This record gives sequence, C-alpha cells and structure tokens, in this order.
Amino acid sequence: MNSPKSTALVLALPWGATLILFWLFPLVYSFVMGFTDYRLLVADYQWVGWSNYRELFLDPDFGAALKNTFVFVIGTIPVTTVVALGLALLVSRGFKGRGIFRAGFFLPSVTSMVVIALIFTNLYQRGGYVAMLAELVGLSPPEYGFLYDQGTALYSIMAMDVWMSVGYYMLIFLAGLKAIPDELYEAAEIAGAGKLRQFGTITLPLLRPVALFIVVINSIKSFQVFVEIFVMTKGKFDTATAVYFIYNEGLATHFRFGYASAAAYVLFIIIAVFSAVQFALLRRREALW
Amino acid sequence: MNKRCLLTVLLYWLFGASVQASETIEWWQFWTDPGVKPTIQAMVNEFEQANPDIEVKLTDLTWANGHEKIVISFASGKAPDVLELGSDWIAQFAVHGHLAETTADALKDSADFRGWSMATYQGKVYARPWILGTRVLFANRDLLTKAGYEEDFVPADQQEFKEAAFKIGNLGRNIYGWGSNTAEKHRLYKKFLPFFWTTGAQLFTDDDKYCVLSSKKAADALLLYKELHDSCGYVATQRGIEDAFLDGKIGFILSGDWLLKRIELEKREINLVSTLMPGPRFPGRSFLGGEFLAVTEASTHKAAAAKLIEFITSPENQVRFCKASRSANPSSKTAQEDEYFRSNAHLQTFIKQIAMAKHPPVDPNWVEMETAIEEAVEDALFGSGLIAEPLMKARIKIDKLRRR
Repeated sequence: MNSPKSTALVLALPWGATLILFWLFPLVYSFVMGFTDYRLLVADYQWVGWSNYRELFLDPDFGAALKNTFVFVIGTIPVTTVVALGLALLVSRGFKGRGIFRAGFFLPSVTSMVVIALIFTNLYQRGGYVAMLAELVGLSPPEYGFLYDQGTALYSIMAMDVWMSVGYYMLIFLAGLKAIPDELYEAAEIAGAGKLRQFGTITLPLLRPVALFIVVINSIKSFQVFVEIFVMTKGKFDTATAVYFIYNEGLATHFRFGYASAAAYVLFIIIAVFSAVQFALLRRREALW
Repeated sequence: MNKRCLLTVLLYWLFGASVQASETIEWWQFWTDPGVKPTIQAMVNEFEQANPDIEVKLTDLTWANGHEKIVISFASGKAPDVLELGSDWIAQFAVHGHLAETTADALKDSADFRGWSMATYQGKVYARPWILGTRVLFANRDLLTKAGYEEDFVPADQQEFKEAAFKIGNLGRNIYGWGSNTAEKHRLYKKFLPFFWTTGAQLFTDDDKYCVLSSKKAADALLLYKELHDSCGYVATQRGIEDAFLDGKIGFILSGDWLLKRIELEKREINLVSTLMPGPRFPGRSFLGGEFLAVTEASTHKAAAAKLIEFITSPENQVRFCKASRSANPSSKTAQEDEYFRSNAHLQTFIKQIAMAKHPPVDPNWVEMETAIEEAVEDALFGSGLIAEPLMKARIKIDKLRRR
C-alpha cells in the first residue's frame, strides 16, 4: 500500500477525478446530447440523430455567427501577432524606462475583460473619444456610435481585442527573443549582414515555434470569443459569434441544450481543423528553413 | 453529567421540536433593494407569526441571472415552493407543467385583481398578480414652455405629441424632443409596442393563427417611431435617456414609475408632467407587465404556499409593498384606491394607464418573438432604415416560431 505506485495513484486521484467528472464526462455527455432534442425545461427527450446538425447548416443565424467568428479570427490573428512581435522587438532593446513600457503593454492582459469591454463601450459611444479622434482626422463617425452600426460594430470589438491581447503575446515573443543566442547575431555581423537581414534570417526562423504557439493559442481563443460580444453588443448589429449563438440557444433564450451542443461540436471541429492546418503550414515552412 | 445531557436532549426533542414549524416553504423573489427587502422580510415574519406551523425560507434572485436559476431549478427538480415570476415567463414554464394550476383561486379574487389574463395560459390560471407595471409619457414642462406651449399643455393626441417633440428638438443644440432607446434587449419592444397598439395594430389575426406584424397599421407605428428617432431622438440606453431627461435635455420620454423614485431619491429638480400615452384619439394604449407569484408543481406544500401568496398579495400588503418600493403599482383595485395612490397625480397617471394598457401574448415563445420584434425595430432605426421589410422578416420568424 505504501509503494511509490500506490502513493502516486492516491496523489493523482483528485486531479483524475476532477478530469473525469468535470471535463471528460461533460464532453462525452454533450456529444450525445447533440443527437437529442433535449431542452432544459422539458423532462423527456428524444433521439433525433443528425437532425440538429442538419438544422444548424440551414439556420441563417448560425451561418451569420460562423461568418462573424471567421471575420474575427482572420481579422485579429495576423494583426495581434505582428503588433505583438513589433512591440517585443521594441521593448527588447536596452533603453531607459523599458520596464514601464513592458508593464504598460502587458497591463490590459491582466485586467478583467468585462472592465475593458465597459470602458471601450464608453469610448465607442456617440460623442465619445474614438468618435472625436475620427472627426479630428477628417472621418465621419457612425451617427449613433461605433457599436450601433453594422458596418463598424464587429470591427470595433476586434480592435479592442487586439489592444487587449498584444501585451500578453508580446511577453511570449520577448521570451522567444531572449532564447536566441547572441552569438548568432555576432557571427552574422562579422559576415556583414545588416539588421534587416539578421531579422529575416535569424530572428524570424528561430521565433517560428513561438509564433506557431501564439497563432494557435490566439486562434482558439478568438474562435471562442464571447465576453466582449456579450458585454458590448449582446450579439446585435451583426456581431453574434459562434459561442454567443451557443449561449443564446442553450442558456439565454431557447434552452435548447441538444441543439446548442451540436453547435458546440461544429465549432470544436472547426477549431481542430483550423489548428491542424496552422500546425501543418507553419511546421512545413519551419522545415524549409 | 451524562444523564443530565441526555435529559436535556430528550426534553428539547419532546418540547422544543414541537414549537418548531411543521412545514418549511421556500420563496424565491427578486426584491433585494435595501429599501424594499425589510418590508418583504417583515411581511414574511408576520405571516409566520400568524401561521406558526409554516416557516418561510426566503431566497433572493437578481434580474441578471434569476431566470436562468429558475430554469435550472426546474430542470434539476429542485424548484422552490413559491416563485416570483415576470409576466413574460409564465407561459414558458406553464407549458412544460412546472407551475401549479390555480384557476379556482383566481376565480375567487378575479373581480378585485387586474392582470389575470397575463397569468392565464390555454384557459388555466397559473399565478396570482402581485404588482403591475406600465409606461407613461413624461414631459419636461420647462422645455414645453420654451417651445411656446401654454402652462397646462399636454399633448391631446399623437399628432400634437409629435409636433411638440419636433418643436422641442428644434430648440437648439443638445436639446432633444424624444428619448429613443438603443438596441437594448427586453427593453426596446416595451417602447415600440405602445406605438404599435395605439395605432390599432395587432400581432396576430383574430383567430390567432397567423402573425400580422407587417400590417399597414404596424408599418405606420414603426414609421412614427422612426420619425421621432430620426428627427429629434436622443439615442441612448434607458438609463442614459433618463439621465438626459433629468438633466433637462429631452422633452418627452416613455418610462416607468421607477423614474419618480429616482427623482425623489436624487432630489432632482425637474418640472415634470406625466400623461397617458397619446393615441390617434386620446388616450393611447401602453405596455402592461407585472410581477406574479406562483406555486410550483413540484411543491409538496402547495396549500401553505398558496396561503403565503394570498397573504403577500392582500390589498393591505400590496399598498405597504408599493409604498416601500416606490416603483410598483398594485394589482388589487382596492389597493389602487388607497389614499397613497389617490393623493399623487403621477401615481394616478400610472393607475389610469394600467387600465388602458395591453400585455404581450401569453405564449411560451414570447421571449423569442420579442427578439424578432426588436430586431425589426433596430433594423429600421439603425440598419437598413426600411420599414416594411424588417417587419415582414419578423413576421416570418414569429410564424416559424409558433409552428415549431
């Protein structure tokens, strides 16, 4: 009983039980639920096969939510990654007060998303600071505010998300930059390579695993975007995303757990495929380098 | 020593337990306001004193997640005995058999209570009206005077109201004729429906088979609403509109009695006019909603639960509760006749408007239908700007929902 194996088993038990109870069981249960017409308020339910999935593909609201989710992912990932890398390069240099800049850029990442969303809701409102800035540069802001216009609502939320995320990814890039041996840059300098060439031939290739991690993690996070939408627009003005759709179907209005579970699995498959493609593309290019 | 302990336990078990309540009922309610909760607690204490065999366990809910908690309690089979329900939720819960039918009780008190129809689904009554709410038209007298109106002017009909709003809107920068709600869920439709019903539009055909949201009258109502919004509307959340109104920036707003409470608590100085919703021929119809008390089907103490509801909704307790909340109207006509309501002109406006207000259909899918209506209004105000097309889309959506 006192063998190392049994001790390990006992120590792993709380985590294992938690994994099974709160992760594996809901995962399997929701998958099964996706094939039923289970509604929270109705005691009995029927097995409906693929009917929920068929309905999903014909549901214009789900189609719109998926479209918005893809716009969000495709719009924010490249911008966040590039800006985070740029900031990491800037603050990796030795200059006075760089700690303040690093902390400043990172601060939004440790602030509550709800708080940030509320602040930006005010900034984006009619007559708010963003509208004033737009007017200053000669642009005409939307009449009722950026979040009350179908043409700007989603993009405004995306801009806020980029602002909020870059600090965190900057820190990861910074760690990646620190891991690159200085000798490589010294050797390149001796060989006569300029800064730009050093960046293209040393920094970028060696940062590729970090970039892959950032792109995959950020993509998964962006596919699951919810809090911003919930706080800022409640899915109105063409901003409902896939997770907001799932929330609305399952918890907010319809309580259609079966249907919402099916939608959640569609999103899960999309995220899995998207991540696999990203891994394949970035790894293949890594091999080429 | 041990014998003494044993004797104490035995005596407590024999006599102490006998004075304890034999029944414990659980009541979930939404009034957490420090100004109101003590009144709720006092009423519960009085009920317990009058009924020593019944103990009441109070649980507070919030409007942010109360509905979800109730749904989950039904799904998990752990629903309380008594529930406070918003009028929009009764059909949703009744259709799945979660609420106990109280038709006999309803008939007993039907003459004195308003609002039974909101608790009636397919001919059966599932809850007892407690307090009612409506929206009335508030105006800023100073702005009306600046716009050239006499001291005693109130818009006699829709046309006068529109003209007055436009005139106030033209008074200058940062002055608006009308407070127009943004795309706020569960709020926007309560502002649009008074216009909709006042123009004589209906949601469904007389035989209740089809949605007629895209009728000519419905389009007229949305057009009027849009005209006010576009020409002189201060567009903000309900809270934002009320802030601006109390700051003297808006001429007319449609709001509830909580505004009176706010003016009193914040000691706002505003030359306030309250009047009934203006119609094509004065007066018009407004939105009617309310809070109801229901016994759940799962309750094993239905008689005790019904007793509590009867006590809480008695005319005297309704008056007492309304005085404490300062933002509620009693459902009992006897309570409405109390001096507290008769002596206040603004409260009288609410009582009169309630008599002429209309509630949304009692339908399990209403929450989804209201979303469709709100989407149509939002599209007309903030999106395409069209009138007929968004209404048509909403009509199709509602018909689809009802067929599901």
